[in-house]
Amino acid sequence: MLKYYFKIWLRFTLSAFQIAFVSRVGAFLFTFAKLMRFGFFMLIVVLIVTQTQSLAGYSLNQSLVFFLTYNVIDTLTQLLFRDVYRFREHIISGYFDYILIKPINPLFKILFGGADPLDLIVLVPYIGLLILFITQLSVTVVTFVSFMLLLINAFLISAAFHIVVLALGILTTEIDHAIMIYRDITSMARFPVDIYSEPLRGFITFIIPVGVMMTFPPKALFGLLAPQFMLVSGVIGIGFFVVSLKLWRYALTQYTSASS
Amino acid sequence: MLIKNTWDEALVYRLNFILWRVRVVIRFLITYFLWSSIYSGNQQFFGYSREMMLTYVLMVYLVSNFVFATRTQNIGSEINEGKLTNYLLKPFNYFISLGARDVSDKLLNFGCTVFEFAIIYLLFRPPFFFQENLGLIILAVVAFVGAVGVYFCISVLLGFLGFWTSEIWATRFIFIILLDFVAGNFFPIDILPKILSQILMLTPFPYMFYFPVKVYLGQLTTSATIQGFGVMAVWVFLLTKAMFLVWRKGLKVYSAEGR
Repeated sequence: MLKYYFKIWLRFTLSAFQIAFVSRVGAFLFTFAKLMRFGFFMLIVVLIVTQTQSLAGYSLNQSLVFFLTYNVIDTLTQLLFRDVYRFREHIISGYFDYILIKPINPLFKILFGGADPLDLIVLVPYIGLLILFITQLSVTVVTFVSFMLLLINAFLISAAFHIVVLALGILTTEIDHAIMIYRDITSMARFPVDIYSEPLRGFITFIIPVGVMMTFPPKALFGLLAPQFMLVSGVIGIGFFVVSLKLWRYALTQYTSASS
Repeated sequence: MLIKNTWDEALVYRLNFILWRVRVVIRFLITYFLWSSIYSGNQQFFGYSREMMLTYVLMVYLVSNFVFATRTQNIGSEINEGKLTNYLLKPFNYFISLGARDVSDKLLNFGCTVFEFAIIYLLFRPPFFFQENLGLIILAVVAFVGAVGVYFCISVLLGFLGFWTSEIWATRFIFIILLDFVAGNFFPIDILPKILSQILMLTPFPYMFYFPVKVYLGQLTTSATIQGFGVMAVWVFLLTKAMFLVWRKGLKVYSAEGR
């Protein structure tokens, strides 16, 4: 089954890549814009940390690891789940009916059906820079493994967010702003969530688990995350994912196929 | 009539509109909380006190919601899809139609912004600097009107690219990113290295958000204010000329493709 879906994903991805490069000028401009935004934000992180000496007690190097971890998670999420951004059109045009009758899980098609190659291009320098800054820290095997496990947990939470948005899309036909609100909120984690004061910090750490997604992995890497928080992160990740699947199944029962 | 129609159109998908406003507020709160956290110790950074920085952020929120509210972002796709023909056949000037739709969008969004601003102010009680110098308030309003003109012309020009290419969103995406960083939407540009901010002041970008707010705050010297208004006037003139020139050239190649 896994091999079957992997082959389908490769097909989808290859087609999506071909479509993206139909207009090379557009592909170049979008890639340039993404890199420009990344560069501007990196400059802001450097400016703020050098002016304030440290950001919530974190050094410049550590602040950049937070920033780069956010970028890697955010970009990889967009790379994999780009088709979610097109789901509203599928719903209002009735194209979703066509997906439902295919011999594959419809959620798989909508989540993974259109990987974005431009995000793959920009992901390379992000990962390179992240590795560069991590090697300048004193990292142990245990903290690095914790970091990687929490990254996987972050993708699980991110997938759950996207599934919730898809379910809302079926229930309300509203996707565009919902997914952008998710992205806006996660963008708070460009900086470690520790800089925000309570109750906001608690809210974006545990209620909308942006902190668990983006700030906990680097904290574990620095050896600053208590083991019980690792456990709590896992529970939040799995719990949120299960709830999102239940919501998706409920949404499917409410789909009326009204547009087709 | 055009203004009323644009309002009706915007409110057809009410949930969509409400979520758009939610998004605007969230984006503002992210910037507000970030700067509020950085200034939590009441120190002075980048030459700004906590009060001045948070006033800057709040003022940009007010100004940007008026300046940025526009219907001109649809021009490119309207040209690409041949929908421009609908406007050309109507018995009124295209730019009057554009202006009316823009005014409508601005009033709708600014009305929401004032309401949201009041709630934010009551909830968070931010340290807001109220300018008492009437002269500076008048100058800030003039700069604000200029900001609307600069943004309108650039946005229309980006839309007119649709006469020659279907690649209209990539350039607008770049423009939106530039607005965040070099127009002062996310932070005042004078926190950047001096040479960089001086170069930026020669471009039209700072005159959309940064300059009007700085005039309001009274943080510019007399010569910097005069120079700022001079550069802004030049940009408004050049961009207006360019807009009409590109419109005339564009119409010559417009083939109503898609209709």
